[in-house]
Amino acid sequence: MAVHEIASVKNQSKLKVGVVTVFVIALWLGTFFLFYEAFGYMKRFDAGGIGLDLGTVGEVVTIRVISLLFVAVFIMLIFSNVLVALTTLYKSSEVEYLFSSPLRSSELFTARFAECVVFSSWALLFLGSPLILSYGIVYHAPWYFYLVAAIVSGPFLVIPAAVGVTITVVLARVFPKLSRPILIILGAAAVAALFLYMRRSFDVEKLSGEKMLRAILDAMKNTQSPFLPSFWAAQGVLASAKGEIRQSAFYFLLLLSNALMLFEVSLLIASKMYYPGWAALHASPQTRLHPTGKGILGRIDSWLIFLRPRTRSLIVKDIKMFWRDVSQWSQFALFFGLMAVYVANLRATGYYYLDIPIWRNAVSFLNLGATSLILATLTSRFIFPLISLEGKRFWVIGLAPVRKRELLWQKFWLSFVTCISFSLGVMVISNIMLKVEPLLMVLSCATIVMMNFSLSGLAVGLGAVYPNFREDNPAKIVSGLGGTLNFLTSIAYIIAAIGTEAVLFQARALKLIPEDYRFALMVAGVVGFVVVLSAGVTFIPMSLGLKNLERTEF
Amino acid sequence: MVRTESLTKKFGSHVAVNHLTMEVHPGEFFSFLGPNGAGKTTTIKLLTGLLMPTEGRAFIDGKDVQLDPVGAKRVVGYVPDQPFLYEKLTGREFLRFVGGLYELGGIEFEKKAEELMELFGVLDVADLLIEEYSHGMRQKLSFSAAFLHDPKVVIVDEPWVGLDPKSIRFLKGYLKDKTRDGLCVFMSTHTLSIAEEVSDKVGIINSGNLIAMGTVAEIMALEASENFEDVFLQLTARGEEI
Repeated sequence: MAVHEIASVKNQSKLKVGVVTVFVIALWLGTFFLFYEAFGYMKRFDAGGIGLDLGTVGEVVTIRVISLLFVAVFIMLIFSNVLVALTTLYKSSEVEYLFSSPLRSSELFTARFAECVVFSSWALLFLGSPLILSYGIVYHAPWYFYLVAAIVSGPFLVIPAAVGVTITVVLARVFPKLSRPILIILGAAAVAALFLYMRRSFDVEKLSGEKMLRAILDAMKNTQSPFLPSFWAAQGVLASAKGEIRQSAFYFLLLLSNALMLFEVSLLIASKMYYPGWAALHASPQTRLHPTGKGILGRIDSWLIFLRPRTRSLIVKDIKMFWRDVSQWSQFALFFGLMAVYVANLRATGYYYLDIPIWRNAVSFLNLGATSLILATLTSRFIFPLISLEGKRFWVIGLAPVRKRELLWQKFWLSFVTCISFSLGVMVISNIMLKVEPLLMVLSCATIVMMNFSLSGLAVGLGAVYPNFREDNPAKIVSGLGGTLNFLTSIAYIIAAIGTEAVLFQARALKLIPEDYRFALMVAGVVGFVVVLSAGVTFIPMSLGLKNLERTEF
Repeated sequence: MVRTESLTKKFGSHVAVNHLTMEVHPGEFFSFLGPNGAGKTTTIKLLTGLLMPTEGRAFIDGKDVQLDPVGAKRVVGYVPDQPFLYEKLTGREFLRFVGGLYELGGIEFEKKAEELMELFGVLDVADLLIEEYSHGMRQKLSFSAAFLHDPKVVIVDEPWVGLDPKSIRFLKGYLKDKTRDGLCVFMSTHTLSIAEEVSDKVGIINSGNLIAMGTVAEIMALEASENFEDVFLQLTARGEEI
């Protein structure tokens, strides 16, 4: 199947494949350059200038940063494997067929486990390879450093896979028996615990220059726990860079033994719980009724009575389909959680930079950038698949007297109204917390409104240019060629829009532009540029999407 | 009511439907028969506008399906062979959604939706999510949706799959009664016995070509056999064109 999947790329448009390949390479090179410069800077960093006697502090920070990255990847891999396991072990339609064949559940589990490891490996490859390569170049690591990094990756990938898959198997066995209120309480408790941990771990209070570095190092020390596999992987790789082969081998064997042990444990648990869990999920008794007029979803129709019946029907349908799909709203909730963590941490921001215009502007625009990136991620993940999710059900709309133009714009407005309601809120609240100057407050809010238009138009339009009607899983739709192009284009647009504004304000801060009518004219010019850019990013993809949708056959 | 003029559909070099010209009138129950891969579903998709013809035209109630798709679709009800529906909607919500697409609403509409669900035997499960419906229940719900807007033409693709005998008997009778009220039914099926029983007119397609069209008696007269199935098999084995 993998061979056919790879071969099928040949059938894709060469332009699509070419554009995405170029973007992926550019992104990899950009990441590599970033790491290379960062490691180079930290290697040269001398803390003597700020009165700290920490010796090779640059090396210490580098090691902490690498450990932090390994921890981040490790946690990400656990979450990723939980979700991937849910699909490959339970939701995939072929599992039913495989269970009916003379195959032991442990054999099926082992095969699927290997798939989970492979699916999750791309993240480590894409993020880890520029990191390893840049570190090796900057610190003149020996040739076997790269080989050790590749070898260590193997067991390092298996450990979070074993943890993630086991969590999924246990939850699938236990969850069907739990009532909805208990699930909500458990979910809220997990989110609150994560929130508190992250606040405590990375709470960097008002700092002066002397205290900042030590505070940051202290904040990162959690990543250095000798019980974490990410620590073993980082230490194993870093030891080989210094030529310490025996230490490197020690950490590799530690990883390998734990990986094998955890796999055996997950296999043992799966042999007891996988099939019963799968059977329970698929044979659950009739669930609750959803009578009209009851609950929030039952009343949405009446709340949107001011809309035309056709538009209202399409919107209500999309909302209900989204809200009743656990895999959709749970990820949406995760985004909200991350945003809440981000905004909450702004309270602890030190305000020393307010006196320095360059830093003041930088923080304001970084805040705008962060909010825009969250918006881009949301539109890419949830809006881009909307057209594709009509999928095999497109005959329902296709047979109705609905113009494709109506359908496309309905998706657009649904996206715009949904996204602006929280992105503008985040923008205003974060600007207030950061004590942003009034002009920048107005500019950033106006920019985020424009971005809502553009990113919604881009996601809906490209979703219609590159639909995938064969796939029901939004995560798979997004990870296709069209979804990747949408996300990369969103990033490029955000950089162009915010970069232009940031350059102008930094030029003012550096006194390269006088603070008189000329600055006002330039602001107007930049705003005009962003408006034109945003209009292009909105309407061009929508137009292309409509043309493609009208040509598409079902 | 349903008319095609030299309707053709090619997929690359493969001709799925080859210059199909035919007409079905109001009040007629037309069965469209053919072996697997003959072009039945492709023809239906051309009639419903889900596919664009390579050549030729299709008309529903005098409206060109490609030039006036909205006008043509207003009068068509469609039931596909595979009833892919919105899994996370209840049956009632699905009908309300379809009604909204036809700009139907209000108390009268709700009453009609309820009547149709009761008629087709899905009222008991109206407030359950469609993902919990069996294939047959989804098929019945699709039928309910097809009749919501009082169509003039109902196009059904292999409607009997997944239905129990009681439902099949009901559906045959219901569709036949509706044709007496002027409804035009265009049905594609493999079940020759049902086609023979209910059809006013039959068309047989093979390898994209319409090889026979007429009443059941006229089709039977084409071959020296008194068994409709034998006639069908002989015609499709030969691939004759009219």
